[in-house]
Amino acid sequence: MKKKFALMGFLGFLIFAQNISAQERFIDVRQMMADELTSVKASVANQDWMKAKESFQEAKTIWLNEIKPLVVEGVKTNEQFQEYFNRIGEVEKNLDDLDLLLADHKVQEIESKANAIIWAISHHPRGFDVPQPRYSIWDWIFGLGIGIGFCIFAFYFGLYLRRSYYHRYKKQGE
Amino acid sequence: MHSDFIIIGMYLVLMFAAGIFFSRNIKNTADYFLAARSVPWFWIMGAVWATNIGFLHGYLAHGGAAYEWGLIQANFEWFQGPFGYILTGLFFIAFYWRAGIFTVPHFLERRYGSGLRVIYSLAWLIIFVVTIAAELYLGGMFLKNLLHIPFWPTVFVLTAVVGTYTLLGGLGAAIMMEFVQFVIMMLGTIPLLFILLHFIGGFTGLKDILLSQWGVSAQYFTVLPDIHHPYGPGPWIILGQCFVVTIGWCAGHQSMVQRNLGARSLYDAKLGYVVAAIPKTLGAFLYVVPMIAAPIFFAQRGIFVEKADAAYGKLILNLLPSGMLGLFIAGLVSAGLSSIGSVLNSSSTMVIKDIYERFLVKGKSDHHYFIAGRIATFGIIVVSLLLVPVVLKVYLIMWLEQTLIAMVLGPFMGVLVLAIFWRRTNTPGSLVGFLTGGAFAIFLQQGLGIKVFFQISWWSFVVTFLVTMIVSLYTKPPRKEKVEGLIWESDFRAQLGKVLEQRAESNGIKVKEVPEIKIKKPPFYLNLKYWATVILLIQVVLLLFFG
Repeated sequence: MKKKFALMGFLGFLIFAQNISAQERFIDVRQMMADELTSVKASVANQDWMKAKESFQEAKTIWLNEIKPLVVEGVKTNEQFQEYFNRIGEVEKNLDDLDLLLADHKVQEIESKANAIIWAISHHPRGFDVPQPRYSIWDWIFGLGIGIGFCIFAFYFGLYLRRSYYHRYKKQGE
Repeated sequence: MHSDFIIIGMYLVLMFAAGIFFSRNIKNTADYFLAARSVPWFWIMGAVWATNIGFLHGYLAHGGAAYEWGLIQANFEWFQGPFGYILTGLFFIAFYWRAGIFTVPHFLERRYGSGLRVIYSLAWLIIFVVTIAAELYLGGMFLKNLLHIPFWPTVFVLTAVVGTYTLLGGLGAAIMMEFVQFVIMMLGTIPLLFILLHFIGGFTGLKDILLSQWGVSAQYFTVLPDIHHPYGPGPWIILGQCFVVTIGWCAGHQSMVQRNLGARSLYDAKLGYVVAAIPKTLGAFLYVVPMIAAPIFFAQRGIFVEKADAAYGKLILNLLPSGMLGLFIAGLVSAGLSSIGSVLNSSSTMVIKDIYERFLVKGKSDHHYFIAGRIATFGIIVVSLLLVPVVLKVYLIMWLEQTLIAMVLGPFMGVLVLAIFWRRTNTPGSLVGFLTGGAFAIFLQQGLGIKVFFQISWWSFVVTFLVTMIVSLYTKPPRKEKVEGLIWESDFRAQLGKVLEQRAESNGIKVKEVPEIKIKKPPFYLNLKYWATVILLIQVVLLLFFG
């Protein structure tokens, strides 16, 4: 029995550890891609077009070989990957655009395009995607019920506290 | 960057030195656990807020949650937080004072017997140790990511600074340090909001970009969302969070309550708690509103954010100029240290007063328990440090801590309300009610998979309340003398007089010299009712504007 528990514990640890290391890997590769894109911006600012193109190619390679496969596989088992899966098209379009902009040496647009890619591989607030408010009749009933109920309760309870307090001290003085 | 390191280094050395300075003249358990009952109201105000706001319940985790879910996170700071502070200050604190207790579990024992005292103490000790480990983890990770310094040495330095003054100086040193840290937090961290809003174009610009240009859900901008919201349905926030968790937190959290038990008078204790609602309200402008604006800054500047918890660090690192960054980090570290210090001090108080002195080693000298208090503080530091690697592996720290708290605060509020207002509540009723409520909270979370912890708190409160009433009605009522002085119907003034006499005698003052027995009318600017009214009106305005 002890051996079974130990084995189960070990397997559980392995699965847990694997999950954690996959998540850390996912963070690391996105950070690497973001660093390369930041390097593209810095190189363009310094008019070092060769370096900018090298960094861009590095970023694209990381995207194609590391991030995209992780997202495509990860979304099958973990909903945390869903937001990145939804933005695959956006990232790829922006990468293509950035490639063209680098070829045309359009300094101003390169920065905003690189920023857009970095933002697309970043974690977006989940609150952004919450449905628009759908205050139903139940919200009002519930909300008003609690609000008005609390006010009525507070009023009468306050009266009770006041009455009992003065009742007690009047008695004490008598 | 060098100037930032110098500022942070100077700050830590200053904290260390100030901690040792404030630790002088600590001689007995009343000094160590209740700061010789000499603390004025304004120190209590700073200490209560600094206790409440740390890395976990404040800047980093709450800031991360604000980044993730939006203005809803401000509901902890607006209307319900201040509501809990005011209600506790005006009402519950007086009961604790009259009972002449050291700890909240001590009050439960006076009313219900030792069983509940042990259960409640152990539950909070677990929460406290997890909290200290989580605070150290968050602080270490934050400084590691921000300044690229190694994790473990950072954790050890933070522990050494906070451990030294808490271990040597007890509550008095902790409160004084918390007040200093409160000032540094306020001065150091408030510029962030103004710099960020200036960058974005004010609050109108922020709303315009997110709602009109980005098409973000309007629920990102409301404090009370609809009932379908996945993180915090509005009605459940009011029921579970406002009426149960917040009040339970303010009235049942040993660290929060202990600051008031060390006050120089009951009035100072009450006023300190009530006016602490002001910095509490301001807290939303320190770490909630900036985090709602942060996504725009990240998108416009092309800054990579890997997860919500990292957003706060990324924001300040990329926004604040050198020098100001150092001051800001000092403010943040202050928040972490003040929370760790207060929880550490409260944990040792509970270990000694609720377990060691009460059940394990009775009848020893005061000096014995004073030394034992220091050893307990050291032991808790060691256990918390050992837990840091475990916390390191748990991604959802906030979830873990909130779940534990939801399991305790709902049942606590159930038995506390009945303890005060229903004379008939007895020991078996409270014990069965508390355990059933806690078990029901676990069932809701694990069995039914309910994730909104406000909901869990509310239903565990209701179940505890009902079960306690039913079992109490079917068992023997408590003796009259047992509940005297602990329920609303008690003779307040006579009871308070007795307690003040005991407190004065334990501090070596002759009874006839005790100033608190003469109740003076306070000047209008220190009137509790005026402060409470003004603070509540501010909450109404905020709710109308952002609700």
